[in-house]
Amino acid sequence: MTSTGTSPTPLSAEAAALATGPAEHPLHPAHAPTGQLSFGVFFQGVNSSTIWRLPESGDQVAWESFESLIRTAERGKFAAFFLGEGLRLREHRGVPFELDVAGRPDAQTLLAALAAVTEKIGLVATQNTTYNDPVDLARRLQTLDLLSGGRAGWNIVTTDNAWTGENFRRGGYLDHADRYIHAEAFVRVAEQFWAGEQIHHDGAHYSVRAQGDLPRSAQGRPVLFQAGASPAGQDFAARTADVIFSPHGGLEAAVEFRRSVVERTIAAGRDANAVKILPGAEIVLAPTEAEAEEKIRWVRDLQIGPEQAIALLEQYWGRDLSEFDPDGPLPDVPPEVSESGVTRGAGFQFAKAEELTRSWREEAAEKGQTILEFARVKAGARRGSFSGSYETVADRLAEYARLGAIDGLNITPWLIPSGLDDIVDELIPRLQERGVYPDEYAGETLRENLGL
Amino acid sequence: MSTTTPQTVTRAETAAPGPTRPVLAVDLVTDPAFVGRFAALARRLEEAGAGALTLSDGGLHPIHVAAHLAPVTRAVGLLPRTDAVYVEPFHLATQLMSLDHISHGRAGWLVHAQTDPSVPATVGRSPLDRAATAREAADVLETSRLIWDSWAPDAVVRDTAGGKYLDASRLQYADVEAETFSVRGPAITPRSPQGLLPVLVADADRAAAGERVASELADGRVLDLDLRSGADGALEAVAAAREEADGPVVRLVRVVGLDLGADPLGPVPELIDALREQGLIAPAPVVGTSLREQLGLPPAPHHLDPVRRADRARLTREDHS
Repeated sequence: MTSTGTSPTPLSAEAAALATGPAEHPLHPAHAPTGQLSFGVFFQGVNSSTIWRLPESGDQVAWESFESLIRTAERGKFAAFFLGEGLRLREHRGVPFELDVAGRPDAQTLLAALAAVTEKIGLVATQNTTYNDPVDLARRLQTLDLLSGGRAGWNIVTTDNAWTGENFRRGGYLDHADRYIHAEAFVRVAEQFWAGEQIHHDGAHYSVRAQGDLPRSAQGRPVLFQAGASPAGQDFAARTADVIFSPHGGLEAAVEFRRSVVERTIAAGRDANAVKILPGAEIVLAPTEAEAEEKIRWVRDLQIGPEQAIALLEQYWGRDLSEFDPDGPLPDVPPEVSESGVTRGAGFQFAKAEELTRSWREEAAEKGQTILEFARVKAGARRGSFSGSYETVADRLAEYARLGAIDGLNITPWLIPSGLDDIVDELIPRLQERGVYPDEYAGETLRENLGL
Repeated sequence: MSTTTPQTVTRAETAAPGPTRPVLAVDLVTDPAFVGRFAALARRLEEAGAGALTLSDGGLHPIHVAAHLAPVTRAVGLLPRTDAVYVEPFHLATQLMSLDHISHGRAGWLVHAQTDPSVPATVGRSPLDRAATAREAADVLETSRLIWDSWAPDAVVRDTAGGKYLDASRLQYADVEAETFSVRGPAITPRSPQGLLPVLVADADRAAAGERVASELADGRVLDLDLRSGADGALEAVAAAREEADGPVVRLVRVVGLDLGADPLGPVPELIDALREQGLIAPAPVVGTSLREQLGLPPAPHHLDPVRRADRARLTREDHS
């Protein structure tokens, strides 16, 4: 990694206002920023973030797409390549959702193959603790860690809905409130397996007897990622994870999240710097701010077309809204919450549909937004705030790094497989010039390359 | 909950006359001690004329080791030997069809039914008796095929004008209610290049897998040549097995017992040459040939079952409106 050096520019007024300590500890007395960023790439493969309508949109399942994208990422010294997990195909009103990209290969099977064509980049599989068996999953992760020479990571997720459970032996066995208790016990079994220990686990839902029988990898065990942003999720991460994959890209929210994670990590008896934070981000870049703004709109319009806008509202209204004009106001009909066929597999809560749809109608009316405009803003809100001209995004990220708000980004490309090209060719050299991004990989393992 | 045996595409529907000559496979045990050497070994075996590699569980997960070898090989078939009993059928089927995507249609499954009494407890289950083990293996195999067959080859439409990526009417549920598990489907993965992966049973695994899996459901038989008892008599054994009129066709001749620690290839290149010279095994595979083709199996047709159509909820709504 490049040395941090002295900051070439002072913090902006916005960032300086958020700092409460000296440059060595700007956010928390026990937390010392490294001033360095690590990038991950999240190959979503499904959902609306990936644009499939352009001539250059590649096949989301083809080996060549994955190989091409991961080679670009490795050229850009990305620390990690992430894959999501599919447990059940998304449905909309009881039918597989037709408007977005759908279908992807099994994450770890694919990563085991990608390990053969890469040398340094980390390989991270999202895998849930509810519909996997801990010993089987631990063995597969350890296999990946050994095949890749210590580059495996596990993005730990939980789920509890019975609809997903219909594809698995245990069905919908887990209560929402118990998901982290179960996840923690699950992770402990996996850790025992990796340590080569005898496993004698009696949980609330099942018992496991096994013996860890694989050697340790070059990094000891797979790096643990976690994405829970709720207080319970943060506490779970503070006790268990090496890296949090957070949703907080805005500077103020990122600073607040850092302080919260640091407090919880210390409370869990760990070092204040033990847990790294990588917010998820979608990055749209252009040479100038004006061009970037135009490009952001263009990307969002391609991601959310009129059909997707209606479908997005149908998820919350729970009924057919096809008779409404995407260029007109939001539907003035009440939701049908009794209808069970909402889009599933995306974690939507529909208990408060009545209240939510009313507030959305009011919000859109106040801003004079059509259905299409409203849906595009809603969908864009979760995509982070790291878009703009090459120079401004580099400046902004350098400031985040110096402040210690984040340790890097987990970037979701909006185009496959060329979506990282401008990030690697334009943004990363500017970050390297600012001394906040590594010129070379720090080591051979994912743990080393994340600075853990 | 009703209990119905999964209905699937059986061998009888897809089997063509057997190939005149079986494919030569070499077995690699997934011992972690040799983790850094599998890729080079696989390439050398491919160069020596092997038609396929089978991966036997020696600690590392055989499906992932097979996937690891896919990008470093070009034409050999890749067949992990994995259990069909103490597994999540949905995960297993997804992993295997993903291997088929990654290898561009070179994946197969050497199915076996786990009888090691220590394995069930690793997934929180109790051991099944002999008959139940065989029934479960059959159910998981049939379920896997339903999952593999749940997307039509043309389900991804990418209709830019209509704004539709997918046509749900070309997807179907698995709707399996087996004795010990149920699976709804459809697959989370689009149809793989071969559609249905070739499923084979090694002679040593026939008893545990049961007659239904070994003789009715599988696509063929695997004859083992164990190098530990010497390469002598190998030619005679293959010739004799091909003469047998009854039972499943020998589609694969598998060389087992390679000593990865000493001379990894041992007598394998000479053995391949001798078998090929005698016309006892198929020619070395050509790049771009699927494993089904290599084994002499016809392309797997897609069976669309109207009852299991994935857009049935929409059809029902339209009926009522």
